[in-house]
Amino acid sequence: MEKDARPSWDSPVEFLLACVSYAIGLGNVWRFPYLCQMHGGGGFLIPYLIMLFLEGLPLFCLELAIGQKMRLGSIGAWTAINPYLGGVGLASVMTSLYLCLYYNIINAWSFWYLFNSFQSVLPWAECPINSNRTGPIEECELATPTQYFFYRETLDISSSIEENGGVQTGQALCLLLAWVISYLFVVRGVKSTGKVVYFTATFPYVVLLIYLIWGFTLHGAINGVKYMFTPKMEQLANPTTWVNAATQIFFSLGLGFGSLIAFSSYNQYNNNFERQAVAVSIINSGTSIFASIVTFSIYGFKATINYESCLERTRILLLNTFDLAEDKITMDTVFEWIERLNATYPQQFAEISSKLETCDLEKELDTAVEGPGLAFIVYSEAIKDMPLPQLWSVLYFSMLLLLGMGSMLGNITAIITPLRDFKVLSSMSIELLNGIVCLFCLLLGLGFTTTSGSYWFTMFNDYGATFSLLFVVLVEVITVSYIYGSKRFEKDVEDMLGHRPNWYWRIMWKFISPLLLITVFVFYIVNYIRGGTPTYQAWNKELGQSVVTEYPVFGQVFIGLLLVSSISCIPLTALYVYCTRTKRGNRRRQLTVSTVSAEGLAP
Amino acid sequence: MLEKSLFLLCFSSALAKQLCAPDASDGYKVRLSIRTALGDQAYAWNEDELFLFRATLAFAMRNRISGQQFEVSNIIVCDETPRVSFWFVVTSPSNTSHLVDKEEVEEAIRKSRNRINSAFLLTDKTLEFLGIPPTLAAPVSPDTPPWLIVFGVVMGAVGAGIVVMLAFSVVQKKRKKDGKVVDEAVEEETRAKTTDNGAAGDGVYNMSFSDDERFTEM
Repeated sequence: MEKDARPSWDSPVEFLLACVSYAIGLGNVWRFPYLCQMHGGGGFLIPYLIMLFLEGLPLFCLELAIGQKMRLGSIGAWTAINPYLGGVGLASVMTSLYLCLYYNIINAWSFWYLFNSFQSVLPWAECPINSNRTGPIEECELATPTQYFFYRETLDISSSIEENGGVQTGQALCLLLAWVISYLFVVRGVKSTGKVVYFTATFPYVVLLIYLIWGFTLHGAINGVKYMFTPKMEQLANPTTWVNAATQIFFSLGLGFGSLIAFSSYNQYNNNFERQAVAVSIINSGTSIFASIVTFSIYGFKATINYESCLERTRILLLNTFDLAEDKITMDTVFEWIERLNATYPQQFAEISSKLETCDLEKELDTAVEGPGLAFIVYSEAIKDMPLPQLWSVLYFSMLLLLGMGSMLGNITAIITPLRDFKVLSSMSIELLNGIVCLFCLLLGLGFTTTSGSYWFTMFNDYGATFSLLFVVLVEVITVSYIYGSKRFEKDVEDMLGHRPNWYWRIMWKFISPLLLITVFVFYIVNYIRGGTPTYQAWNKELGQSVVTEYPVFGQVFIGLLLVSSISCIPLTALYVYCTRTKRGNRRRQLTVSTVSAEGLAP
Repeated sequence: MLEKSLFLLCFSSALAKQLCAPDASDGYKVRLSIRTALGDQAYAWNEDELFLFRATLAFAMRNRISGQQFEVSNIIVCDETPRVSFWFVVTSPSNTSHLVDKEEVEEAIRKSRNRINSAFLLTDKTLEFLGIPPTLAAPVSPDTPPWLIVFGVVMGAVGAGIVVMLAFSVVQKKRKKDGKVVDEAVEEETRAKTTDNGAAGDGVYNMSFSDDERFTEM
């Protein structure tokens, strides 16, 4: 009977684009610019690039090599390398599952914003009017219209993780759409994914380029770019900078999820993955830098607009209080007038001093935001001030969608590929298996669309895939270098590529990358212990801003569960395999004993 | 006679000035931001503009309180500043020393706010009556929220795409099955002619043996 050959990519380009589409995700847009800002602007590039060569490239190449050699998903591949460490693959699948559950919520939010961009006035541009029609809604006045739109009209967020509410219909519908589209992309496995990645990998660059050109024409954009690129070299002395660079490279390349193993398992045996690994890693880092230039030009624009409206408000306040003619004070002369009026009318000035805001461009540029807050609040605030905001909004949120969808493809493939390696599930049609996985994730993901769902999202985002991944990749690299044997691995690579890996790869795989990973791992643990009770940002509607709140007991227990459930797969599987082997070994010994004794008695 | 009328005039204007004062209990402060609203096309504020203002306000009072004939003289203005802001009070036409209540004035202005704004080419923001918040326009809420429409379109397209894809793969599978049946029939005939070892090369690569090699390190 003929066995179906393993499906494969139609061409190596598809594999390359799939890796690019997977690795380049939202983190390049919303995490890297933040890190750049926190750790000294242009100076951050130094630790970032060093970590790329010491850690990112070797580990990326390692995972591609494993997948291409074993031609199985993560569970099968690690079981083949060493049956006791099949749990590594299982841990990868668990982490991918957690990621799939919460990552598509971001795509749902992107869809929501995208659909709401088709209006003459963007809904996050102005505060809605209260019921008396005397002014804007109070919550919106205390916060900003963009924050109000995100926290109230999009999420309808509750005031803490303990307060639950119903499922938000708008969110739920957008999540359904996100999963339906994800299903459409992966329904035929590699055959459909391979076609989709041509679009998901290239379109974001088109949008980024348009935004780059547009960004530079915006008023005040240069301030932001200048601010970003002025290096503050003293940050390099801070060890956190180096650890953050290492973690960013690590998570940005998507190591440890099993997606890379899954993707490369569909490769031809002799595919030159080494060159592709170098290409993808460099493209990924280049995109991060590119995206941060765009982000900083947008920051500069937004900061300048905020600064100028602050000046305008101060000007009006001065005019109104001292009843001066309108053209007496211009925007440039506000500061000298403040001093003059303070000197001549100190008493009156003291009365309004509480209402007087300090307008500072540096301070506006200093507000560093990361994560969904950057993507959905800061960016939409900048977009609403641009001319023809609907066009820019549609472009921007489509780009976010494609970045997010591209990463989802990798994560779903990371779950499905190992599942299909099991005999039980390989007989099922691939459409049905994909459908079941997507439906399962959709139903569980609906929990993130409730009023407290965004807090659970933050919990999953911070703890679901960070610590466990570090552990998984550490075990991976130690397994390959020491347990499987680096000589054996190099021979496998030579088998596939035709030449042995050169000294760079050998040193990195055996010594430098494991050492770096251990350092980062230890740093994480120390930080976690020193941090005390884990906290999150809860939105307080009376104050109109986020408040740092501690997780309740059940929240902390859940965090513990998240971490333990994926990490424990490794020791538990090893234990399970050990037990079944000893049982099997005993049974085999019993059989041989009985046969020998039987033979002894035979004539 | 002349002295009497002169005295009355001075007295009434003095009285008027007393009725109108900053922070008067029945008066309102008005602030105009002409340059902000009109930029280069701003008109200069002078006595004639003030006359128009008083006339407009008299119109607003007439509009609100039918029957009483408010005149320009019933609107008293004081404390003008270069900002273009001033205080005004409204006297009752029947009794010029009696001021109209604050609430009545507020209602009148609220009712005719639009007309007052248009007379000066200004808006609620640039012609401010301090203490009278503008009645904001009712928000336009369409029956179907616009996002739902776009969502419906996209969802429909994606749903159609999935149906097409599934139908395509079902059709392909059927075609393969039919093709296989025909092929098998052909193969059976050929197999009958060839030897038993004809299919030996089509074996399945058995991974289990190669797996054992990897970890039996003895």
